[in-house]
Amino acid sequence: MILLFALPAKLVGQTLSGKVVSSTGQPLTGATITLMPEKIALPSDVNGTFRFEAVKKGRHSLRISFVGYKTFASLFIMSSDSLLLKDIILRAEEGQLQEITIKEDYQQLRRQQVSLSMEIVGADYLRRNLGGSLMQSLEKLPGIKTIGIGSGGSKPLIRGLGFNQVVVVENGIRHEGQQWCADHALEIDQFAAGRVEVIKGPSAFLYGSEAIGGAVDIKPAVLPAGHTAGGSADLMAKSNNGLYGGSVNLYARKQRVFADARMTWQEYGDYRVPADTMYVYDYAVPLHENRLRNTAGQERNVHLRTGWLTSQFQSVFYLSHTFSQSGFFANAHGLEPRRVDLDLHDRSSRDMQLPFQQVSHTKIISQSEFRYGQNRFDMELGYQRNFRQEHSQYVNHGYMPPVYPSEQSAPETLERAYDKTVFSANFKNELTYKNHTLTIGTSGEQQRNTIGGWGFLIPAFTQTSAGAFILDKFKVNEKLLLQGALRYDLGRIHIREYNDWFTSQSESGNSTYLTRAEAITRTFKNVNWSAGLNYTPGKFFLKVNAGSSFRMPIAKELAANGINYHYFRYEKGDPSLSAEKSYQLDLGTGINAEKFTAELTPFLNYFPNYIYLNPTARHDYFYGAGNQVFNYAQSRVLRYGSELQLTYRFLSNWNASLAGEYLYTRQLSGAKRGYALPFSPPASALAGITYKPNWDKLLTDAYFTLDCRLTARQNRIVPPERPTPAYQVFSFSAGGKVKTGAQYISVSLQVQNTWNTRYLSHTSFYRLIGLPEAGRNVILAVKIPFVIKGKSTS
Amino acid sequence: MKYIKQLFVTAAIALFTTACDKDETGIDTEYPVIDANAPGTFPVQCSTVKRGEKFTFKAAFSDNMALGSYSLDIHHNFDHHTHSTEVSDCSTDPVKKPVNPFLLIKTFDIPESQKAYAAIQEIEVPADIDPGDYHFMIRLTDKEGWQTLRGISIKIQ
Repeated sequence: MILLFALPAKLVGQTLSGKVVSSTGQPLTGATITLMPEKIALPSDVNGTFRFEAVKKGRHSLRISFVGYKTFASLFIMSSDSLLLKDIILRAEEGQLQEITIKEDYQQLRRQQVSLSMEIVGADYLRRNLGGSLMQSLEKLPGIKTIGIGSGGSKPLIRGLGFNQVVVVENGIRHEGQQWCADHALEIDQFAAGRVEVIKGPSAFLYGSEAIGGAVDIKPAVLPAGHTAGGSADLMAKSNNGLYGGSVNLYARKQRVFADARMTWQEYGDYRVPADTMYVYDYAVPLHENRLRNTAGQERNVHLRTGWLTSQFQSVFYLSHTFSQSGFFANAHGLEPRRVDLDLHDRSSRDMQLPFQQVSHTKIISQSEFRYGQNRFDMELGYQRNFRQEHSQYVNHGYMPPVYPSEQSAPETLERAYDKTVFSANFKNELTYKNHTLTIGTSGEQQRNTIGGWGFLIPAFTQTSAGAFILDKFKVNEKLLLQGALRYDLGRIHIREYNDWFTSQSESGNSTYLTRAEAITRTFKNVNWSAGLNYTPGKFFLKVNAGSSFRMPIAKELAANGINYHYFRYEKGDPSLSAEKSYQLDLGTGINAEKFTAELTPFLNYFPNYIYLNPTARHDYFYGAGNQVFNYAQSRVLRYGSELQLTYRFLSNWNASLAGEYLYTRQLSGAKRGYALPFSPPASALAGITYKPNWDKLLTDAYFTLDCRLTARQNRIVPPERPTPAYQVFSFSAGGKVKTGAQYISVSLQVQNTWNTRYLSHTSFYRLIGLPEAGRNVILAVKIPFVIKGKSTS
Repeated sequence: MKYIKQLFVTAAIALFTTACDKDETGIDTEYPVIDANAPGTFPVQCSTVKRGEKFTFKAAFSDNMALGSYSLDIHHNFDHHTHSTEVSDCSTDPVKKPVNPFLLIKTFDIPESQKAYAAIQEIEVPADIDPGDYHFMIRLTDKEGWQTLRGISIKIQ
């Protein structure tokens, strides 16, 4: 959907009229034009024109929808005079041909409907800012960071909360991987994302347990227009790790039936850092050609989509499979220095030796939508399977036998395996009645998790959860929107017993097979609420939201009793933990003027019982094999912070922007009272300047951007973190669209870390061993659309 | 233009002045220290101990606030998979398969509120264990849970 501000062209009489045309100027007959808030709908006539009589004074909006075209919405103010709108141009829904550009105005409208702070980006934004993974491509958004694990993978971190405190939704279904695990990435194909919405705040009322820090909602690409067939090819290359890859899409649609397929593939070598030696403790590790040994990898994804579309009923079926394999830095497995065979590792920068990980994720989703009267009913059904394996050489830590026993069923190099199967279902009914939009919904999920390999971190478990919610949006008037929500959740986790496969020696000299996890079953119930308002009197806007969120403790927090040799720590769960609860107050205020926009989004957050892995002073001889004891505990936590975004357009072609973020965290009780929370991102600002020349013949939508990321030092740490010094990193990007025949080829170029600056990221998995971030990286991405059948949209 | 410039500068200043916190007082952010150069320290990188004999582990620990506990771990490194945390490398025996390697895991408390502590432990090396390359790991915590690791390569003859 695109929203533009329709500008009055001419003022006549007492009516509202206009004309709907296609992008080639053809009048469109039969488009539905709805006048809001009156909700009067009219079709456009043979000439594409429409006319509303006796329209009241004040703010109104128009919604123009037409099958095969993107829905258009516009805002206008009716004075005592009548209004003839400028021609309204509808763009064909063939997103694959013309770029799906999410206009800033659309973002504004969407944001005005949500009282929480929110960021929205489209596929075009992702390509311009293409990073190693979807989350890295979003890192320029204020308040959003990643927990990086090398060149490819990363996990979302929203205002400093990540892991199981952020929910990721793809095609309407919660994405379930191994969120708890630090060296594991999100299995999402960024080329398949049509639009990404990031909600920065507690959103349990929408997504249930775990949406305590926020949610990343990934929407699919728009559906192809009627009676068309075509496709596109995305190609990309990166200089730093020698990545090359592509994504090919094909689609076809009759009027009601469509099918769409995508294949993505990429391969990359070891990534380079601006250092030739690094130190794991005092042990110097020389880096061959500045490359981090064994960080190469590959990714292969397949997506299929088919569906049936009518104006009343729509049903889409998705099938996707992602597979990735990536190496871990060979000279350190977590905190442990490893000696490596340099001849073997340095022979090629593109091969993968031990240790490495393999992840496959399969999804089958059915999404249906049914409209009747003033109602819209949505149903989402999903199945997914996540299978992850971590391979490394067998090292007999602690009491493990010196030689791996041949009778063990797991292969000698399989350190860990996690197999997760999830069934999900969501039902939702949205009813529009007078000024209310009332949504009632329910959702449920069933998870089954099994484990494998010789290393133990979490036990096998099954988990069932269900929730029901009611959400009301009440439009008091054109300026004020109120909303309130209430949700009830119920969840049960059943943890299976786990016994060591080897014996440990007690202090008295007895050998026993230790029980690492006891069988336990816990049930959690929670009621959450949210209330907010959006006030938009004109250019100025104000948002206020207060709400609660919760998170059921995960298997690791309840039942861990094993040694994490990546960190040399003995992690001990607590089966009596309560569900983590959070209360947050969000504010959002700003100005949307033609040349200038500003937005300030402060928040205040309190957890009465944050679940925290507390490092103690003790070492454990028996269960911990001499390692430091880390206990899961709960403490009161205070967090507050803000993002600030400013943009200013000047000299018609120039644009300056600043996006800053600040976060403060503090534990108010418990053993680490006064300390921060782990992985708290330091304050930072992204200052940028963009030049957009009018080279319409040569390069349409051309842009040149120079960015500088300024990051403050982070001294607020908690064991085992280390302070991270301040840094500044520059990046340059440029691009545009070249017209060849009837289509536009999009080209985007980025030079990340332009000056090859050596710096550390506080939220990187490898920060603890002082691994610098990637050096200069030139990224080229090209998108070539093609038409097999149907009209071009340009 | 001027107005905007001013606004940017003000915003940047506002962001960074609030960003730079006063350092927290009373919060310990320092790791405990295992002094590698304290006189009498044993074993050190590349030390040798003998089977069937006792040796005395000696180390000097210190912390800015209060020490916690420590643990010792001796395990074989016959396959040379891991490296010590030290700068220098020691000459190693050829890679071999362990038959009856020596394994020692012991944890020790440190009396409360100690800023400095001299650790002394007598360790007996059994006579029937495999000789060769071993790692001697020292893990030291302070009261707040900061942990310092030190892995030393030793040889058992």
